[in-house]
Amino acid sequence: MEKLYVNEIRRDGEVSTVGLFYSRAEAEKIVDMLRAIPERSHCRYEIVEAVRHLLSEKQAKRTSIFTEV
Amino acid sequence: MRGITPRREQGMADPVLAEMVHAMGLAEAPHFAAIKPTIQAYRRRWVELAPYRDGPVNSERTPVPDPAAMTRQIKDKAWQLGAHLVGVCRLQPHMIDLGQDVPHEFVIACCVAEDYEKVMHGADAVEEEAMRTYVRCTEISNELAAQIRAMGYPARAHHNGGCEVQAIPIFYQVGFGELGRHGSLINTEYGASFRPGFVTTDLPLVEDRPREFGVQDFCMNCNVCQLNCPGDAIPQDYVVTHGIKRWLIDLEKCYPYSRLRNEYCHLCVDVCPYNVKSHPQTYKAFMKERKQVGYKTPKTY
Repeated sequence: MEKLYVNEIRRDGEVSTVGLFYSRAEAEKIVDMLRAIPERSHCRYEIVEAVRHLLSEKQAKRTSIFTEV
Repeated sequence: MRGITPRREQGMADPVLAEMVHAMGLAEAPHFAAIKPTIQAYRRRWVELAPYRDGPVNSERTPVPDPAAMTRQIKDKAWQLGAHLVGVCRLQPHMIDLGQDVPHEFVIACCVAEDYEKVMHGADAVEEEAMRTYVRCTEISNELAAQIRAMGYPARAHHNGGCEVQAIPIFYQVGFGELGRHGSLINTEYGASFRPGFVTTDLPLVEDRPREFGVQDFCMNCNVCQLNCPGDAIPQDYVVTHGIKRWLIDLEKCYPYSRLRNEYCHLCVDVCPYNVKSHPQTYKAFMKERKQVGYKTPKTY
């Protein structure tokens, strides 16, 4: 299944992730809806493939406060 | 005010779930097909209450010379009705569903805590408790909205019977807590074991403030929800939305455990160490059980 983030890029360059979507059609529909809001006209939107490390990959490393049984 | 936050459809209206269910050659997600009669009854209850979310507003408006006093009065009412947490904030676009227009200035958030002890009786007991709590939230928010309309101010309840607002950004803004790695808001007293109801209104009120107590920093190192997730659906890294860290759950990995089998899955919330404050003995006993079946647990348990 495809995994895509929709990011909102504001006038000052700040990036805010709108969400994670599972098809380009779903992501494009969201962007179209956001672009139709006059109050958001100063924002740009981008659809980017979810970077693999941002999705779940169980870490083998231990943390300082948890231990493996 | 127009909303900007997408809401994922529930049940088979969710295209991700529908695709996975159809790939299995089924017409319905196994979890929903196997729901017990008690849970079906709870679900019917909030459907029954849906038509009463909104209604006529009394034409004689009660003056509100002191919004702080009115806020106290509203919070008292919510507590009397059974809420465990009540907060108020000004409604903002990111608190409203994308595509919805909510014409109110304030939102009142009410939460009812779940009985965490149910965790010892298995996943289905946890789900039944969740549904019971949702019904209570539905009743409280409907009643609160009706009372505000009787004072002459527009008010609409938002709950499982119908909702146009987003829980997490409102919870954060009213000071209930911070968003945890598992995607639920964490409160100091109740962990993430509570359910919401909301009322949007133009009744003059006084806002609460966000309250941070280190959850997002703690979640950066804890990982116990991630390590206990049977589907490996909770990510290591986060994204940022409106300046707040969010760990976006991978639904393709979550659904096989939460929707595509008969039993409920609520483990990410159940194993959260923030439950230890409200239910220390139950949490420790539950984590001992988890340890016996090979999951990572906090060192002391």
